[in-house]
Amino acid sequence: MKDISLRLAWRNLWRHGRRTWLTVGAMIFSNTLLVFSISLQFGSYEMMIDNSLQAYSGHLQLQHPRYLDEPKMRSALSDVAASAERLRAELGLTSISARAAGFVLASSDERSYGLQIFGVDAKHEPLVSTLPGLIEQGRYLAPGASAEIVIGSVLARNLKIEPGDELSFLGSGFDDSFAAGVVRVVGIFKSGIADLDRSMAQVNLGYFQDAFAMQQRGHSIVIRAPHIDAVEQLQTRVTTLLGDESKVALRHWDDLQPGLKQAIQADMTSAWFMYIVLIVLVAFSVLNTQLMSVLERTREFGTMMALGLKPSRLARLVILETGMMTGLGLLLGITLGALITWYVSQVGFSYPGMAEMAVKFNLPERMYPAISLISLTLGPGIVAFGSLLAAIYPALRLNRLLPIDAMRAV
Amino acid sequence: MSAIHCHQLCKTFTQGDAVITGLDHVDITIEEGEFVCLSGPSGSGKTTLLNAIGGLDTPDSGEIRMGDIRIDQLDRGSLADMRLHHIGFVFQAYNLIPVLSAQENVEFVMQVQGVAAEKRAHKAAAILKEVGLEGMEDRRPAQLSGGQQQRVAVARAIVSHPDLVLADEPTANLDSVAADHLMGLFSELNEHHRITFVIATHDKRVMSYARRLIRMQDGKIISDEAQ
Amino acid sequence: MAGFRLHLGTILVLSWRNLWRNHRRTYIMLGAISIGVWAMIFMTALMRGMVDDMLEQGIRNLPGHIQIQHPGFLDDPSVVNSIPEPAGELLSALNRAGAMRWATRIKLPAVIASERESRGINLVGVEPDAEADISGIPAQISAGRFLESNQDQGLVIGARLAQRLETRLGKRVVVMSQDPDNNISERGFRIVGIYRAEMPALEEFNVYAARDTLQELLKIDGLVSQIIIVDENYRDIDRLYRKLKQSIPASLEMKPWYEIDSYLAAMFNMMDGFVLVWVIIIFLALSFGLVNTLVMAIFERVHEIGLIQALGMRPALIVYQILLESLLLLLIGLGIGNSLAILTIKPLESGLDISMVAEGMAMMGASSTLYPSLTLYDMVLANTVVIILGILTSILPAWRAAKMDPVQALNTT
Repeated sequence: MKDISLRLAWRNLWRHGRRTWLTVGAMIFSNTLLVFSISLQFGSYEMMIDNSLQAYSGHLQLQHPRYLDEPKMRSALSDVAASAERLRAELGLTSISARAAGFVLASSDERSYGLQIFGVDAKHEPLVSTLPGLIEQGRYLAPGASAEIVIGSVLARNLKIEPGDELSFLGSGFDDSFAAGVVRVVGIFKSGIADLDRSMAQVNLGYFQDAFAMQQRGHSIVIRAPHIDAVEQLQTRVTTLLGDESKVALRHWDDLQPGLKQAIQADMTSAWFMYIVLIVLVAFSVLNTQLMSVLERTREFGTMMALGLKPSRLARLVILETGMMTGLGLLLGITLGALITWYVSQVGFSYPGMAEMAVKFNLPERMYPAISLISLTLGPGIVAFGSLLAAIYPALRLNRLLPIDAMRAV
Repeated sequence: MSAIHCHQLCKTFTQGDAVITGLDHVDITIEEGEFVCLSGPSGSGKTTLLNAIGGLDTPDSGEIRMGDIRIDQLDRGSLADMRLHHIGFVFQAYNLIPVLSAQENVEFVMQVQGVAAEKRAHKAAAILKEVGLEGMEDRRPAQLSGGQQQRVAVARAIVSHPDLVLADEPTANLDSVAADHLMGLFSELNEHHRITFVIATHDKRVMSYARRLIRMQDGKIISDEAQ
Repeated sequence: MAGFRLHLGTILVLSWRNLWRNHRRTYIMLGAISIGVWAMIFMTALMRGMVDDMLEQGIRNLPGHIQIQHPGFLDDPSVVNSIPEPAGELLSALNRAGAMRWATRIKLPAVIASERESRGINLVGVEPDAEADISGIPAQISAGRFLESNQDQGLVIGARLAQRLETRLGKRVVVMSQDPDNNISERGFRIVGIYRAEMPALEEFNVYAARDTLQELLKIDGLVSQIIIVDENYRDIDRLYRKLKQSIPASLEMKPWYEIDSYLAAMFNMMDGFVLVWVIIIFLALSFGLVNTLVMAIFERVHEIGLIQALGMRPALIVYQILLESLLLLLIGLGIGNSLAILTIKPLESGLDISMVAEGMAMMGASSTLYPSLTLYDMVLANTVVIILGILTSILPAWRAAKMDPVQALNTT
């Protein structure tokens, strides 16, 4: 290094090697922990959202404006199949599907259960939901077929039926008339999501509309974006297309599953509280070390000032030293963190009790951290920032130093 | 360098309950190229006067003038600049930065002064050679004797051709031989480079080198003789 | 030179004054320890509060601490898997078993229909006088009344369900369910009470009727779905469980809450582990600074330590003196940290409003108000870990200080 100041700063750090390593050690510890933890968080949030949305609700839904708060049969959209087709054409997106929803009491030979019954567009439904692909026994609905039904695995077990059995149902239709019919179970799905497996069944939209006297109506048009990041843009496009249409509302998944975003927010908040505590503790460590380092060099600083160095120059030196130390902690911390996280991302991570919690949030039993540029640098970046902030006090003290006093110091 | 004029300098310190007089209405003029010794017992005021002239300490009252500049009225930043470019200091101890080599100690000041990197190395080596430390450029202070350390301090003090070198008890930690060598070096620099030297000391060996000897006591100048 | 023995008091004074020699450093270290300890206890109290809340909500919703039912009932909650009302040995065992409440219950899926809408529900037939202890619903009535006797003909539904069905207090609704022969039984009920629950999903789902009324409706006289037992404290039911186990006929299954809901069990077990991990992580973050401080303090006193050794103080005493210094630092830090924690938790005891993430909380099974739960166990754990690990961390530097060669030490400036 040509620059003497740089050499000086670096060597000053190693006057007390153990002290510097201990301070850097605190940074490495925190950084490693932060990289791992944040990667784990991001990985699981992503998965949680994807799994929850792709199972059933999709990213956006068009509904009757009152349907979200009051999901009644009467709050319906007219011409739902045609609208969905038009939307597919105008957006150039095939992952759009129409649905209708109702409630019936269904009876098998041995049992009766209430269940939610959905009329779906069997051709497009697989593009908005993973459910059609999760058929455990039998097959999914054939497009256009009448009187076919697929039901959830828990429901099937409770009703004691298998593919091929018949189910009769009874409910109320759009005009308050009786909706009744007999359908054949063609398939049983297992999503792993308790609510769906326990209470949901699907029939073809056309059959539903007939059985429930809906005519051409339905309750929602489900839109699935190619990727979660594309949702906002899609939302804007659809809103523009809708224009002033007041009989239809576009619902974001945030409204469809409010718990989801909030659960993530709550988790993030509590995690960040913990992270901040760690960062503060590291900053204290840096403050301690740098303050001691400055105080024990008082005489030396006095000499330097006698030579004509201004206090600001000395302060710069201290900040430079802190910066080098922080840089060391940053690099080593990110490296160690990345290594550990990468390893875990291959083998997965699990702790006792996690499996049960995972089920509640649509997560798999082992978690896999997701390494990204942000997850690698966010935590360590803030640690670095906090450490540099901590050096401000010792550096400021130098401003008040008078050469005479410094040189007289013991 | 213009002459330094000090007029009616006063400075007092408080230590606990006691009030100590550092300088008591001191008047003095130092011309360019002089080799002056300030002598006197501890507490006589010689260090205080030295610090005042060098801008390290401001007197309570009185004037210090170098040409047109009122040194006692300069702000800290300007004083620092003055010390950086025009005045060299050599102290009794703790002169050097322990983690830098002899050469780096000299180069460090030059870097702060703004000298370009290539020139620095060359000049630093040359000046170290001039003070008799050729071959020791890469040694750290801990690897140098007391006398050698002081010589590095001198090298650093003169490398930018200051007008004035102020030395405070420079030989206090040295044995006779080293003290002699150091004072010889001072004389040589004074003669060849026309650098003004003001040295505070109570070491008789040092005083014998002075061409002008100013004795102080209790903050007052009691004698001022050429010798 | 004769070895000198130092009074503990003298060592204490030495350690105390040494602590304050470099007061800036001590202040900074104290600051760090205080914040660390505060964070340990504060965060733990909040987390535990949330988990306790989840557990209580969850157990209330099972409901009960122990459930007795037909072995196939939990898998297939149908009326077919009913059990007889307790009699004989079981009955006397239940009555004898001590400070707790028990009641029978009918529970099965049904459909409720108003003029406008129909919905799937969980139809619950209860013994009204016992229900307050079992699920707490009678206390959550917001309009009308709860059921008054086992033969009450009325129905109690949640406020949200009433809204969904577009019906209200006083109106009639129809309830349909399956009897043991798989015939649909249906009957009209009048809504006599509306309740509000902490979990919105429950409000839409649970509907209450009187037990005997349902038995009549479903043609299951003398049969119930479950026997629910509630003890004083859900954490400690093993004794009760063992007692009852002796009187349970083989045809019946008895399960404690933690076997019924594995999610709750996991939460319960996980919490203690979480606290320990959090405390240790904080301590590790602090430990770097702690060792640094000690090492710096010793380094500054090398000459002095050499002096003390030359004067005859035994190495062991030097170790004790330094450890004591460290201990004093930790104790003061703990004192401040604990006080800060208590001071910041007290104002939150009336509950921290987290309704902005209410639905998220509901997903996890927690309510929208967070009550911190400061337990002695947690505080003792945090303090003990800090002291023990703190002393352990200090042993190495202290030991090395004592091992210094006095001559070398004295030669250091």
